[in-house]
Amino acid sequence: MQILRMAWRNLWRNGRRSAVTVAAMTFALWVMILYTGLVEGMLVDMVDQAVDLEVGELQVVAAGYRDDPSLHRVVADPAALLTGIEGLGYAAAPRLLGGGLGAVGQESAGVQLVGVDVERDATVTRIHQRLDQGAWLDPADPRGVVLGKRLARSLGAQVGAELLILSQGADGSIANDLFTVRGVLAGVGDGVDRGTVFLTEDAFRALMVLPAGAHRLTVRVPEGSDLDQARARIEALGPGLEVRTWRQLLPTLSTMIESTRGLIQVVAFIVYLAIAILVLNAMLMAVFERIREFGVMKAIGYGPGTVFSLIAVESALQALLATGIGVLLALPAMAWLSRVGIDVGALGGMQMMGMSMMQRWTGRFTVSTVQGPVLILWGMVALAVLWPALKAARIPPIEAMRAR
Amino acid sequence: MSLLRFSSVTKVYTQGQVQVHALRGLDLQIEAGEFTALVGPSGSGKTTALNLAGALDHPSSGTVALEGRDLGGLSRRELSHLRRDRIGFVFQAYNLIPVLTAYENAESVLALQGVPEGQRRERVLALFQELGLGGLEHRRPDQLSGGQQQRVAIARAIAARPAIVLADEPTANVDSETAEKLLDLMQRLNQERGVTFLFSTHDARVVDHARRVVKLVDGRVAEDLRR
Repeated sequence: MQILRMAWRNLWRNGRRSAVTVAAMTFALWVMILYTGLVEGMLVDMVDQAVDLEVGELQVVAAGYRDDPSLHRVVADPAALLTGIEGLGYAAAPRLLGGGLGAVGQESAGVQLVGVDVERDATVTRIHQRLDQGAWLDPADPRGVVLGKRLARSLGAQVGAELLILSQGADGSIANDLFTVRGVLAGVGDGVDRGTVFLTEDAFRALMVLPAGAHRLTVRVPEGSDLDQARARIEALGPGLEVRTWRQLLPTLSTMIESTRGLIQVVAFIVYLAIAILVLNAMLMAVFERIREFGVMKAIGYGPGTVFSLIAVESALQALLATGIGVLLALPAMAWLSRVGIDVGALGGMQMMGMSMMQRWTGRFTVSTVQGPVLILWGMVALAVLWPALKAARIPPIEAMRAR
Repeated sequence: MSLLRFSSVTKVYTQGQVQVHALRGLDLQIEAGEFTALVGPSGSGKTTALNLAGALDHPSSGTVALEGRDLGGLSRRELSHLRRDRIGFVFQAYNLIPVLTAYENAESVLALQGVPEGQRRERVLALFQELGLGGLEHRRPDQLSGGQQQRVAIARAIAARPAIVLADEPTANVDSETAEKLLDLMQRLNQERGVTFLFSTHDARVVDHARRVVKLVDGRVAEDLRR
């Protein structure tokens, strides 16, 4: 109690210096909290873009499909598998995949055909909300298709345009039919944007003469579920299934997310290093100014540990003040960044790892995005104060009392 | 057994390339209850002897023993506890802790000893009354006169009931009237409470009050006068 009281009063012996130190710590903490939250928001957004829009949290395909994606290599009884997956508490939707040629007027391009179970797909992805023009697929309009953004541009296709699709059916016949463009997607990701045509499941089956089976089941698990555990449970539903999590499907993205989180620590270290030098300087000055006083304290019976504690508590109080003020000042900024965010639409949206980002960059603030910067600040302050505190603790009293 | 014993103590300081022999084989014994003044010209070794007695410094050779314990054989931690529990210091420049009030300064050593708050309060307030410091408990050192600060320093030194109080030029920074009052006070504490005092001083008034005067010359006892 005596140490705490002395430390608090010592802080205000040179109020200006303490205020500057606290202000610098506060500013660094404020910046780091917002930076961490914004980067976390970007990472979560990237995962959401990848997972929610297209990839899904888990994908199930027939064994060997990934190495040899043939029209004929299908999950034979998708209905039974869907029932099994839903029995585990997960949502799932089948997709049918094929390739072909799309043409609008004189323009043509190679396209990826995706047959969608419209109703189920809406429970596992958000691609139906990602339209730039027109409307999403409707089972009542089997001739209506939706195009990727850049495919539509390269074909010169607008909503209402007629699209000819040419391919080879599962029975070896020539598959060709005329469709109407119902909608054009906003940016989703390179793969979808450049060459994907979405059509209803029934339209796909009719075009490609594929009455049964599905090439891929996209699965969504409740928030917080362990994806590896979910994968194992789905694999156990039947033989011949290949189940992959999004981290396995997008290893580069997964690695980048981990390394970006590591980068936050590095940036925090660099920002706080400057603060640590400031704290070190302030505490060294405080120790040298009071060196005679420490000598007297040790002469009358204060032990080295008590003197060390006094200096450490002085720094801890500054860090505590900075933490309180920094977090308090960060609250309104966190609220604004998480609700409103920064408009990056003016830059044409951001693209990263081949995926289009949201038009608005919002922060994601959780206990850990605040806790991390606070803990690193405390760690750096503790390191910075070590030398001055040890110096004060170890100096012999007679030497300290002779100091001028 | 003497309370404090110097046996063939030498102390050599190195200042640059020059060696200064502050003590050259000091032999001295201080008994419990004494009121002793160490006198002598500048450089005779008075302050060095006091620093060694207070376990603030180590002799170059010889031994310094307090209550029979050789200070040279104690660890830093043990020396720290010894200073806290058995030695009281009164400095020329008062050396109160500036962020603590008069009361907090006086009770600081008791708090370090772990004396319960109620007992600390009782003991310090009684001392403040005895030393004429009543009503000044909440003042910081910079709000006290030199004499008041030195009385607080005396209160701090004796509150923990040490075996000996070491006072280095305690009257050097105060006027004559205050010096007389401080000396009367310390003499009273010596006579009524049996507190042992060892002074280093140039001040003739301190010498007048002392019951034993030890004169040091060139780091040795030149004269030992008991009254």
